[in-house]
Amino acid sequence: MKNHSELIRTKLSDKQMRENVSNAMHTLQNNRKKLVDAKFNDWDGLRAKAKKAKNNALFTLKDRILEFEKNATKNGMQVHFANSKEDACEIIYQLMIEKNIKKVLKQKSMATEEIGLNHYLENKGLKAVETDLGELILQLGGEAPVHIVVPAIHKNRYEIGELFAEKLGASKENEPEKLNAIARKHLRNQFESLEMGISGANFAISKAGAIWLIENEGNGRMCTTAPDIHVSVCGIEKLVETFSDAATTDTLLTPSATGQFIPAYNNIITGPRKEGELDGPKEMHIILFNNHRTNILSHEDYYEALRCIRCGACMNFCPVYDKIGGHSYDAVYPGPIGEVISPQLFGMDKHGDIVTLCSLCGRCSEVCPVCIPLDSMIRKLRRDKVGEGGDNAPLGANELEHSKLESYGFEKFASLATSPKVWRTAMGNASKFNWLLQSLGTSLPVLKNWANYKKLPNLKGNLYDELKTLEGVKYE
Amino acid sequence: MQKKVYFYATCLGTAAMQTTVLNSIKLLRSAGVEVIFKKDQTCCGQPSYNTGYFKDTKKIALFNAELFSEDLPVVIPSGSCGGMMSHDYLELFKNDSNYEKIKNFSSRVIELSQYLEKIGFSIEDKGEPIKVTWHTNCHAFRVQKSIEANKNLLKKLKNVELVELKYEEECCGFGGTFSVKEPEISNAMAIAKVNDIVNSGAKIILSADGGCLLNIKGTIDKMGLDIKCYHLYDFLVSRMEGVSL
Ligand code: SF4
Repeated sequence: MKNHSELIRTKLSDKQMRENVSNAMHTLQNNRKKLVDAKFNDWDGLRAKAKKAKNNALFTLKDRILEFEKNATKNGMQVHFANSKEDACEIIYQLMIEKNIKKVLKQKSMATEEIGLNHYLENKGLKAVETDLGELILQLGGEAPVHIVVPAIHKNRYEIGELFAEKLGASKENEPEKLNAIARKHLRNQFESLEMGISGANFAISKAGAIWLIENEGNGRMCTTAPDIHVSVCGIEKLVETFSDAATTDTLLTPSATGQFIPAYNNIITGPRKEGELDGPKEMHIILFNNHRTNILSHEDYYEALRCIRCGACMNFCPVYDKIGGHSYDAVYPGPIGEVISPQLFGMDKHGDIVTLCSLCGRCSEVCPVCIPLDSMIRKLRRDKVGEGGDNAPLGANELEHSKLESYGFEKFASLATSPKVWRTAMGNASKFNWLLQSLGTSLPVLKNWANYKKLPNLKGNLYDELKTLEGVKYE
Repeated sequence: MQKKVYFYATCLGTAAMQTTVLNSIKLLRSAGVEVIFKKDQTCCGQPSYNTGYFKDTKKIALFNAELFSEDLPVVIPSGSCGGMMSHDYLELFKNDSNYEKIKNFSSRVIELSQYLEKIGFSIEDKGEPIKVTWHTNCHAFRVQKSIEANKNLLKKLKNVELVELKYEEECCGFGGTFSVKEPEISNAMAIAKVNDIVNSGAKIILSADGGCLLNIKGTIDKMGLDIKCYHLYDFLVSRMEGVSL
């Protein structure tokens, strides 16, 4: 884990990044709002329906998994199960070894980020090449995604032009069309040697044994249809029961993510190439992985986080995210949903620090298309972090050290707030300490953090004395 | 709606914003409402709740439920503390044996504007024509849902022009202990808010939340800008009395 405050300070001082992210987030907010107002009669009704569809799948998850396995197998897919992220990577590695494949091409997928696939393969001397424009930019720059939908949104076109010139030997450009052309040319060469394509999955439909992928660039379609082998990596929470459930949720996804009505490509995949068909992979594998999702599911305070459809709306609307950018979270999943799931998927001891990156303004919960109460979950994670989570606390919470000073402070606060006489003496005399506040404000430990950036208020008067004299007010 | 109420001053009101408390009571009195001020009242417990100390917060919540035991509205000049007591308490006591007791208390908590709206409060604007802008407190907006009632009061003032902020729904970065735990981010948010206020062209910013106001005012003063910050209830009284603030 990096030094939390140092990381935040560095990112906050990166003016260019902040400008890029803030502009992009405001555009995404606007697009979404305009679209929802213009095209939907009952957005909230649709959200309720999607919540129900996802909950239905989560409440019957075991049945859905078995049903999916049965139907997908019938459709000719090979279904694999992985408990940990390493297991999931190992399955792909073994497939590559078996077929003697040195390089795979990838569609953008947060699932593969979560399992750390690229690094895993790299350590074994194999290569995964990103084909999504944003992911390609990150791969060239050796960076992690800054956002779950628009992974390279923190870079502007001038920065991308320089990166392309440096890494791909292209001429220095900054117009989007020209940059696209450079990327396309580069990727076309990569696609030529395509043997195995890797994708994620937006939905896995258990009744149909099918997966549903959405994308905007068409590279995903290349990855899933052109090679002989297609492998889809899919967290078990992506299961829904019916096409209708998937369609309801899909209708919310793209508008929430980018403010488009529909994505450029909806790919529904029902299995490998069948007899007589002209294209599609000859083999298709799907890896259903857990990575602590069943722990989240069994927790009454957190199971709802598994409804997430990774639209990114919560980060698009987060006033903290747009100031510090996704890398400040130092975790695979940034923003509000990241604050909720990163500590639970990877351990509170590794990612528990990010639960302070929230002012609890509640905007994320307000915009989340599947009604996940993110802000209240963040508050509960803070509870678990300070050691009040009980037996059921998330992964790694027991390893955490607690601040004795802080818990003592709040114990004192509670005792003060339930001892009226002491409280009255303290509050009634607050103004007498004004000079102290003004002179020491910048050095008292708690006030210091506040006073470094703000002028402290002037305290004056004693409310109790004034109240006693008011007519029509019963002071009792 | 009953015209006899408990008044809840909030900790900030007691320690630092006494004028706002007195003005809030003045508004109630001008509408003929009988006010009971429980001298033993303290704080809603939001600081410990938001920091994760749920056990300590429960003690404070129970203290409040017991103190305000009569079946009267608990009127509070802050949507944020209101949201804590009317909504968050219920979440905190889910599956707790004291749930019913808390629910009885919570269901009586109401923000001052919401209460005034319910009793059909009217106000005459005796002030000079003026342009103001408005800061929406997040918790008041999304939990207590009292912002509309706040603004409805403003709209009754014939000489007051309200210009909305472009990014009105964005947090000012106060967030209680957030501003202490992540002071740099909090400051970046406060500056963004102040810039939004500057861009609105108004020289006066109003809000119905003490915490946000301290945060915004503290930042404005540090930046050395000529923008005045007032609590809604101080502003309303000044309009009612025709005095300039
Ligand atoms: S938590 Fe909600 S808003 Fe955030 S990414 Fe998931 S579905 Fe979208």
